[in-house]
Amino acid sequence: MTDAAVPTAVPTAGTDAPGGRWRGLLTSPVGVAASVLLLAVLVLALVGPTVWGARADAVDTSDLLAGPSSAHWAGTDNLGRDILARVLVATRLSVALSLLAITLAVVVGLVLGSLPFLLGGGRLARLVTAGVGVAVAFPGLLLALFFAVVFGVGATGAVLAIGFAGAPVFARLTQTLVAGVAARDYVAAAQVAGVGRLRVLLRHVLPNVAEPLVVNAAIGAGSALLSFSGLSFLGLGVQSPSYDWGRLLFDGIGVIYVNPAAALAPGLAVLLAGLAFNLFGESIAKTLGVPVVAGALRVPTRRSAAPGAAAAPTPAAAPGDDDLVLDVRDLEVSFAGPHGPVRAVRGVSFGVRRGEAVGIVGESGSGKSMTALAVSQLTGDDARVEASRLQVLGADLRAPAGPQVRRLLGTSLAMVFQDPMTSFNPTRRIGRQLAEVATTHLGMGRREALDRAADRLGSVRIDDPQRRVRQHPHEFSGGMRQRAMIGMGLMGQPALVVADEPTTALDVTVQQQVLDLLADVRAADDVALVLISHDVTVVGEVCDRVLVMYAGRVVEDLPASQLSTAAQHPYTRALVAAVPSMDTDLDRPLATIPGRPVDPAHVPDGCAYAARCPLATERCRVEDPELVTSATGGRVACWHAGEPLPATAVPAAEHDTLVEAP
Amino acid sequence: MSALSFDRVTVRYGRVTVVDDVSLTVPDGEVVGLVGESGSGKSTLARAAVGLVAPASGAITLGGEPVPTRGRHRPVQMVFQDPYSSLDPRMSIGEIVAEALPRGGSRAERRAEVARLLELVHLDPTRAGALPARLSGGQRQRVALARALAARPEVVVADEITSALDVSIQGAVLNLVRELQRELGLSMLFISHNLAVVRYVASRVAVMQGGRIVEEGPTAQVLAEPAHDYTRELLAAVPGRNAP
Repeated sequence: MTDAAVPTAVPTAGTDAPGGRWRGLLTSPVGVAASVLLLAVLVLALVGPTVWGARADAVDTSDLLAGPSSAHWAGTDNLGRDILARVLVATRLSVALSLLAITLAVVVGLVLGSLPFLLGGGRLARLVTAGVGVAVAFPGLLLALFFAVVFGVGATGAVLAIGFAGAPVFARLTQTLVAGVAARDYVAAAQVAGVGRLRVLLRHVLPNVAEPLVVNAAIGAGSALLSFSGLSFLGLGVQSPSYDWGRLLFDGIGVIYVNPAAALAPGLAVLLAGLAFNLFGESIAKTLGVPVVAGALRVPTRRSAAPGAAAAPTPAAAPGDDDLVLDVRDLEVSFAGPHGPVRAVRGVSFGVRRGEAVGIVGESGSGKSMTALAVSQLTGDDARVEASRLQVLGADLRAPAGPQVRRLLGTSLAMVFQDPMTSFNPTRRIGRQLAEVATTHLGMGRREALDRAADRLGSVRIDDPQRRVRQHPHEFSGGMRQRAMIGMGLMGQPALVVADEPTTALDVTVQQQVLDLLADVRAADDVALVLISHDVTVVGEVCDRVLVMYAGRVVEDLPASQLSTAAQHPYTRALVAAVPSMDTDLDRPLATIPGRPVDPAHVPDGCAYAARCPLATERCRVEDPELVTSATGGRVACWHAGEPLPATAVPAAEHDTLVEAP
Repeated sequence: MSALSFDRVTVRYGRVTVVDDVSLTVPDGEVVGLVGESGSGKSTLARAAVGLVAPASGAITLGGEPVPTRGRHRPVQMVFQDPYSSLDPRMSIGEIVAEALPRGGSRAERRAEVARLLELVHLDPTRAGALPARLSGGQRQRVALARALAARPEVVVADEITSALDVSIQGAVLNLVRELQRELGLSMLFISHNLAVVRYVASRVAVMQGGRIVEEGPTAQVLAEPAHDYTRELLAAVPGRNAP
């Protein structure tokens, strides 16, 4: 009977405080309407009998079964009582009984659903789970009718019937949600700390599943109201002289040819109240399911020229830049935020030559991944990408991609993502997924494309490729999937491989294999490589040149060989020093970077790194340095580039103030 | 303080043997690094040590006595890999730490103890009311450390505690681990897949592959003269080793 709504995501870490999320309910028109409607129903339930009680019970034998009139808007019943007043008075009983029933359903459901967790997953727990499963499979209304017979005809019986019939759905929902939260580390941590299971359930598990349960209870209340009216209408619910909407409907239906309003009025009441509960539930689900930021306006995706650059026709490549595979000038990527646009990338310019390997390093939120996604046109619908030049092999990516550009990107640009577990479609064979590139962009036949797929898997050192092309992604290990992903990029004739943290999810030994493979691919066909990583040592090992990004800008561009010896920017030097190597001095504390990365929504004036920089002066906090040619031939954006760092004072007992996140 | 010993421990998930006849000792007051690839069974060994999974055979003892896995007294504590999932998003950091404190003591005493622990991990104790969402990854991991210390443990198991963090933050957490270990004389089982990190914090290192420990010894010796092929492979894979 209760249509369990799709459970909203279990709230995860990183969401805003709960109070703030509920407040969002009152910002959407539907939410406001539902809240007002529900409030009206509840107020009516409270005051109805007091205000209209006397009128509803006033028998008037001179005016039996009358039609609508100015005195009786919905007419009168067979004892001459005002039907509208009776409908209004019946609100209290109808709503109260439904709420009682749904409360019973939720409580029984919570207990049954939590039992498997409390029992710790033994045989008894499996028995409870199976029992609930069987009960869920039973049609709810049938169950209610069955219980109605068991508990006897009357209001009490109907409450018990609807309550118990609704319980299995809630038990199942609770079970699923509880199992999801129970797998989280904080539950394990509490158990390790010796907190008992009941206490863990009450303190950690239930509060974190409360939101989806509340949503479903609200929607369930609407369904309970309908069921209750149904039972009363069938004569199994409320009995005379008490009356609820179902009972009134039953009385009204008999005289429907004499006075249609007698049936329509209680019917309308059921409809409105049911709608109020359902809409209210749906709107909380919607409010809680969406991330906090998303209430804001969305800027449609636009790829456009930066102002001032529109006039210049874009030649295939400027003279002398013939071997530029990737040419990016003044790249800006921004998103709509609650307080105006958030600039994730703020004016990035760089070029990658044929066969060159360029690394992009930075902390989370530095804009390095956004830069890569903008190049491969994968930023998503809510991003706004602007640049004065954005070219891959001479093709302008700022205009909407025509079939030729798509084909060019499909065959000459390869992308490798961080998580090899999610970058393949789990339901399709690896070979088919690779072959798709060839059939779509190279016009190959199916047979030919599959052969090429097997050949490419072999080239990324996957053993027995003929057998492997027929396997599904889950039969591949993480490292093999990442190699297959690279193999997919090699289906065409790639000129550029963009790899976004390709080894972060992999083990060190596998990481090495993938890095070696990327190096081989690059050497074999003179392929250019853009490698994005937070680990400066990985980038330094594979790349010729390194771009260091901070707060959406390139702060240094230098040859990889100079990373540990001649880095100019204090941030680059700090990044290099922070990674322990096999030669780190064991007797000294590791170098750290104090403070935390800049939030893209709140970039300070001046140099964004100033707050964490040991060399920062007043000028750094006011004026943002340009990226200019440095003393060592690279590019650097720092007023104090290359100045010696002060002796590292280790802030031994210094407190880390908990900075308020915006 | 006393030594944590695994004696011929085997753990199975269904029919799959994840930890296969492992014997390992974490000596009193020392840090033992445990390295190996994912799926080698190192995290399962850690979970067995704190009673989150039950070994199929073998014994896990602390100072000769079986490690208690029921009741309030839990002398072996654990810090988890992902600080974004190991803190309850609905509890303040003060409550999170307080929950692991041993029972007893007045409200004021408990509050003072929470403040002391937060101070120990270099967090501002006046902000004990903050929710985890307000904290950076490194700060969260420090709260997790404070929680582990709140239970007055004799041994702390740290399962990949820096691998979910940015390199810039990793250093601060590693410094803290070393500092705490020295100040409190803790014994630690420090799990990581990064040999450079293990080298920095551990005095002994054990290498795990396919559920078995293939090599074990003083860190300096194992890293300088690896005896097993897999150890050599791990060493060769440390990034930056073959940099130009």
